[in-house]
Amino acid sequence: MMASNDPFIAVEDLVVRYGDRTVLDGVTFEVRQGEVFVILGGSGSGKTTLLRNLVGLMRPAEGRILIKGDDFTAMTEEERIELRKRMGMSFQGSALLESLSLADNVALPLREHTALEESTIDIMTRIKLELVGLGGFEDFLPSELSGGMKKRAGIARAMAMDPEIIFYDEPSAGLDPIVAAGIDELIRKLQETFKLTSVVVTHEMESVKLIADTVCMLKGGRVVGIGSLDELQQSDHPYVQQFFARRPDDDQSSESEYARALTGLE
Amino acid sequence: MPSSIAGHVGRWTLNQLAIGARVSVLMVETMTWMIIAPLRGKGLRFKAAVEDFVEFGVRSLPIVGMICFLVGVILALQSSYTLGKWGANRFIATLVAVSALREMAPLMTAILITGRSGSAITAEIGTMKVGEEIDALEVMGLNPIKYLVVPKFLGMLVAVPCVTVVAMFIMIFGGFFASVLVVGVDPSIYIEMTTDSLVEKDLFIGLIKSVFFGIAICWVGVYRGLQVEGGAEGVGLQTTSSVVTSIFLIIIVDLVFTVLFYFV
Repeated sequence: MMASNDPFIAVEDLVVRYGDRTVLDGVTFEVRQGEVFVILGGSGSGKTTLLRNLVGLMRPAEGRILIKGDDFTAMTEEERIELRKRMGMSFQGSALLESLSLADNVALPLREHTALEESTIDIMTRIKLELVGLGGFEDFLPSELSGGMKKRAGIARAMAMDPEIIFYDEPSAGLDPIVAAGIDELIRKLQETFKLTSVVVTHEMESVKLIADTVCMLKGGRVVGIGSLDELQQSDHPYVQQFFARRPDDDQSSESEYARALTGLE
Repeated sequence: MPSSIAGHVGRWTLNQLAIGARVSVLMVETMTWMIIAPLRGKGLRFKAAVEDFVEFGVRSLPIVGMICFLVGVILALQSSYTLGKWGANRFIATLVAVSALREMAPLMTAILITGRSGSAITAEIGTMKVGEEIDALEVMGLNPIKYLVVPKFLGMLVAVPCVTVVAMFIMIFGGFFASVLVVGVDPSIYIEMTTDSLVEKDLFIGLIKSVFFGIAICWVGVYRGLQVEGGAEGVGLQTTSSVVTSIFLIIIVDLVFTVLFYFV
C-alpha cells in the first residue's frame, strides 16, 4: 500500500495496569501513514484497552505513544484537544448522542470547534452522511435507526472534522454478515478515497481478510505476531495458529481438578 | 476482633477521602470551565444553560406551586390549632410568612427539584456514560465538563432561587386562603400582619439557602451520574442514591444556615 517511511503512530513499550493486574505488557508497534492497521485478538486480550490508550481515554503506566512524532502521553490537555480535532473514532455501540438528531450529531464537532456558518455546516453534514450512505436521514434520532445505520452514522461523525486518522472499535460486532461486509467496504473506501490512516480493533477474521494491510495480534496483553495477513498465517506461534484455525483451548483439567474447582474443597 | 474493626474504619475513611477527592476535582473543573475558561475566550454554552434553566425551573413551577400552596394551607391550619386557643389567630399570618420565607419554601422547592431534576441529571449523565457518549465527547475534543456539566450547573444555580421566590408567595397565599376561608381571619388584618412581619432579611436568608441547595442538587446529580458503572442497573442504583444524598445534604445545609442565622 502507499506508505511513507515515517510512522503515523509509534507505540513504544506500552504498559497498562488496572490496579495490580497488568493488561498490556510491553506493547510495541508502528502504524504507517495511510494503511489499515488491524489490532486482532480474542476477548480479554487487551485490544480495547490498547485502543483507549491510543485515543487518550486512558493514560498508560509506562511507555510512550508518538503520534506524528509528538508524545501523546506527555501532552497537556490543550495540546490533546488540538490533536483530537484531527482524529476520528467510531465506537462499538456507535455512541451517538441520543438526544440529538443525526445531523446535529455529525455537526457537533464542527459547531464546537470551527467558526463556520450554519449553512456551511449544513452542507458539510449532508456530505458526510451521504458519504456513509445515510443521505436523507438527517432528522432521524439515533434511537430510530438500526444497528448498522447507527454504526455508519458514528463513522460519519468521526469523519466530520476531516481527520487524518480514524479509529474503529469493533466495527462489525453485533451486525449480520451482509451489513458487516458493508461496513468493511466503507472502511476500505474511506481509506482509499482520503488516504486515511485507519486503526481497527476487531476479532472478526472475515473483516480482517477484507480490510487489513497490517495485522497486529494480541494475546494476554502482549503482541504475539505482527505483519501482513499472509505473513501472520505463516507464523509458527501456537496461539496465532490456533486463532486462524478457530480451534478451542485444549481441555487440560483432569476430573479431580474439575471436582475441586466445583466444590472448592482441597 | 478489634483489628478487624480498625480495618473497617480505616477502609471506610479511605473510601470517604477518595470520594472527597473526586468531588473536589469535579468542583474545581466545573468552576474552571464556568468562570475562568469563558474569560479566556473559550466560550460558554449559554443556549444550553437557558434550556436547562427552563427544564429545571420553569417546568417545575406547576408542581412546586401546587405543593407550596398546600403546605401554606397546612401551616395556617396547624398554627391555628395552638394560636386559636389564645384568641391569637391573627398571628397565623406572621407565622406562615416567616416560616415560608426562611424555611419551608426554600426547603420544599429544593426537595421537589431534587426529585424532578436531580434524579434526571444522574440518569442522563449515567446513561451517556454507559453508552460511551461521554467518551465520544472526549475523543471529539469536547470536554464533558464544559459541554454537559457547566450548562446544567448554571441553569440550576439560577433556577432554584427563582422558583423559591415564586414558592414563597404561593405558600403565603395558601396560608391566606386557609386563614380567611376556614379559620375566619379578616383578610385585611391578615395582609397587614403579613406585610408588617416581613423584613428583607427573611427573604435574603431564604435565597442564600436556595442557592446552596441548587449547588448541592446539581453536584450530587452530576457526581452520581459520572459514577455509574455497568448498564441500566448501575443507572438505577446511582439515581436512587443521588436523590437520597441530595436530600440529606439539603437538610445539612439547611441546618448549618439555620444555626448560623440564629446567632447572627
